[in-house]
Amino acid sequence: MNDRNRHYDRNRPRQGSPGPEGFSDGRLVEVHSQIARDKQEPAQGFSMTPILVVFLFCALGFWAGLYLTRNSRGFSASAFDLNAPVAFASAGPVVFEPDAAKGQTLYLANCAACHQPTGAGVPGAFPPLVKSLWVAGDEKRIIKIIIAGMAGEVEIDGVKYNGNMPNVGVALKDAQIAHIATYVRSAWGNAAEPVMDASVAAVRKEIGARGQYSPKEVLDAHPLGN
Amino acid sequence: MTQEQRSGRPDEDRSRLSRIDAPLRAPFLLLFGSAALWLMLSSALSLLTTLKALPAGIGSYEWFAHGRLEAAARNAFVYGWAGNALFAINLWLLAQLGRFEIRNGWMASVGGLFWNLALTWCTGSVIVSGPGAYALLDFPVGAGPVLAASFALAGLWPVVAYAKRPTGHNFAAQWFVVGASVTFLLAFLLAQAAVFWAPASGVVQAVAHSWYVRTVHLLWLGGSALGLGYYFVSKVLARPLHAYYLASVAFWTYFLFAGWTAPASLIGSPVPLWIQSIGVVGSMMLLVPVLLIGLNLLGALSRDGGWFRAWNSTSLRFISIGIVSLLASLAIAAWASDRSVNAGLRFTSFAEGQNLLLLYAGVTFCVFGAAYAALPRVSGGRWPSAAAIHVHFWASTLGAAGAAFAAFAHPSAHGFISAVSAALLLIGHLAFASTAFAALLSGVPAGESQPAHD
Amino acid sequence: MKNFRYLVLGALAATALPFVGIVVGAQAQFNSLGRAPAEEGGPLMPPLEPGQAIQGRQVYLSLGCVSCHTQQVRPAGQGGDIAGALGARPSVARDYVLQPVVLLGDRRIGPDLANYGVRAKADADVHLAILHKVGGRDQFGFLYSGANHEIPSERAVMLAAYLRSLRQDYSSPEAPLK
Repeated sequence: MNDRNRHYDRNRPRQGSPGPEGFSDGRLVEVHSQIARDKQEPAQGFSMTPILVVFLFCALGFWAGLYLTRNSRGFSASAFDLNAPVAFASAGPVVFEPDAAKGQTLYLANCAACHQPTGAGVPGAFPPLVKSLWVAGDEKRIIKIIIAGMAGEVEIDGVKYNGNMPNVGVALKDAQIAHIATYVRSAWGNAAEPVMDASVAAVRKEIGARGQYSPKEVLDAHPLGN
Repeated sequence: MTQEQRSGRPDEDRSRLSRIDAPLRAPFLLLFGSAALWLMLSSALSLLTTLKALPAGIGSYEWFAHGRLEAAARNAFVYGWAGNALFAINLWLLAQLGRFEIRNGWMASVGGLFWNLALTWCTGSVIVSGPGAYALLDFPVGAGPVLAASFALAGLWPVVAYAKRPTGHNFAAQWFVVGASVTFLLAFLLAQAAVFWAPASGVVQAVAHSWYVRTVHLLWLGGSALGLGYYFVSKVLARPLHAYYLASVAFWTYFLFAGWTAPASLIGSPVPLWIQSIGVVGSMMLLVPVLLIGLNLLGALSRDGGWFRAWNSTSLRFISIGIVSLLASLAIAAWASDRSVNAGLRFTSFAEGQNLLLLYAGVTFCVFGAAYAALPRVSGGRWPSAAAIHVHFWASTLGAAGAAFAAFAHPSAHGFISAVSAALLLIGHLAFASTAFAALLSGVPAGESQPAHD
Repeated sequence: MKNFRYLVLGALAATALPFVGIVVGAQAQFNSLGRAPAEEGGPLMPPLEPGQAIQGRQVYLSLGCVSCHTQQVRPAGQGGDIAGALGARPSVARDYVLQPVVLLGDRRIGPDLANYGVRAKADADVHLAILHKVGGRDQFGFLYSGANHEIPSERAVMLAAYLRSLRQDYSSPEAPLK
């Protein structure tokens, strides 16, 4: 260990004598490799240190588990306040939330046979829903058509359809129709407001039990682009 | 580990060392030189932010809005100063420890060049058109890939040096530096993805941001500084570290727990309780590596007049202060993560004080100490002035102490003391940068082969 | 540890684990988080932001307001935000679902702004607050013209609209108003 890089402080002109002796890099690594290999402190024999470290580690780990279970409210996404009543925090949302993901499942089960999973419809047979003015705008239009169905001639993007849509919505719950409408109005480039179950209930009450709409009837009540 | 037979004859060691040092010269000069420039820019900007009201001349310009100056100073400090300096120092350290003779060092220079160009763009954009929403991620979206690519060129050399080390040398300092280097690139890319490329929803962005900041602070910067600590404490004191057989446990627990401390900075925020609780638990668990690292390093320093010898070595004087500050800041972070303690400290300047302790008194002091050893070796020059080193040490130490006091103490003390401290820091950095440039440029020009540099 | 691969892969895994745990975990929980009505059959909250407020957020961002102002109210047991009348209820994740970037903030050199729109009375007061007079000098005078900075620029108007749009005074499923 007589090599030249031991004197760190030869760079510090203030001192006449060289600084403290230092390890060479080779010696430094050699010494530590020796300790790492022996897994114990040289020339000191038995040491309490590793036992204390393991003990501390276990104690902290135990505390951590305890703390997490007590202060996380079951890893709920809706718990923000540690002092809020527990029943409430885990109960989740108490009011209806339109959910496009649920709507997609319902759409695939009830609507996709005709309008297709892509919402593109079948030209000449089933009208498209993609970027359609019929589904955007006033939510009552889409709700009415889902509940009561629609039969008659419509023209969309220059293609004529003589459709006959049944009253699929009669068998569905208000919330389910709201999910479907929310999904249709937000998927495939559509960007209209979500639909609430309360709106569906209101429309259902308003129109009562009735047959299919004609396109003219719908458009008179709810013109497109609105 | 192969047989250790490499203490060697002095002459052999010397020529091998110069073979290691000489090709480092050009990238080191570029990287550390720009680091020093960024440090001065950052301290000048910080000084402006501490003034209660800016001088009439510039106070009426949008460019000098407090938020812009602060963001620019922060970026210049973390990416400009610490980033560049660690590129240079980490490469140097691992080349020494692994006896690695760098080839294609120009790649580091090119990486450093683009890193600095991208940073200049970012800092300029922060001043001219404003910062973004998230600290340390507040730069133009286009700068992200450039920074990542230049980091890959300039910042991953420690990994190469470790992988290609001909001697099989294996020491804790290498683990920390290699781990720190690979960590940054991954964290940077993931954070860019979660905030810019595929933005997470709402508050999840804030969670991702807290994770990124903590990873940069603790793993990239803190991890590198700890590597420097492991190296210099043992080297200068010429003694093995205390209870070194625990160093691998210290390393792995530090790297495993550091990232989980992130949500401790979101206690009380609108993120779910479980995320906040993970932050509390992570901060407490980090006390295990803090204790072990303290045992390794402070244990070695506390034996046989170690502190006295540390004080008499320019490098170790800075580094021992750096290690103590770094470990203290982590201990304070664990204390402050307690929910009831945190309630009183959140949103105050306390977090500023913690960052100062970690990033300035901790990481930066370690880099200063390493620079005092590395610069003359690589450049072949010498530190021109002992007085400048003293000015640097005392101005930086007093400035850091004053700024920490201002941040931790009552806010009413904030204005005046923090302005004086910022001015002291600027003076210290001017002294450091000017001597560093003198040392860098006084050496034998790169390319010229020379046997020794005494 | 001698094995280079273990070291690098281990460090990478240690870095990525917390990201997967808290960021990916939180994203999975909040992926489908949407707006919700404050009361049965009521409109969805938070309300859609007016166009001017959306532009105003960019002004807020570009001036670095986030470095001194927070936009979050902590629960009553966690600090004195509710007691200090910063808001009627704690902030929850749902309040931020419409925001392209979330400006929670980390330091309160200035007041919290989560409910600034509730507190602000008149436009003139908002502009006075934006001007932010320190030591007799307007810190953000460059957003205004006129001898006494009395004429707001377009950006000042947008910023004011943004600030007035900040409110969390509606009931939320996670944090009902008492």
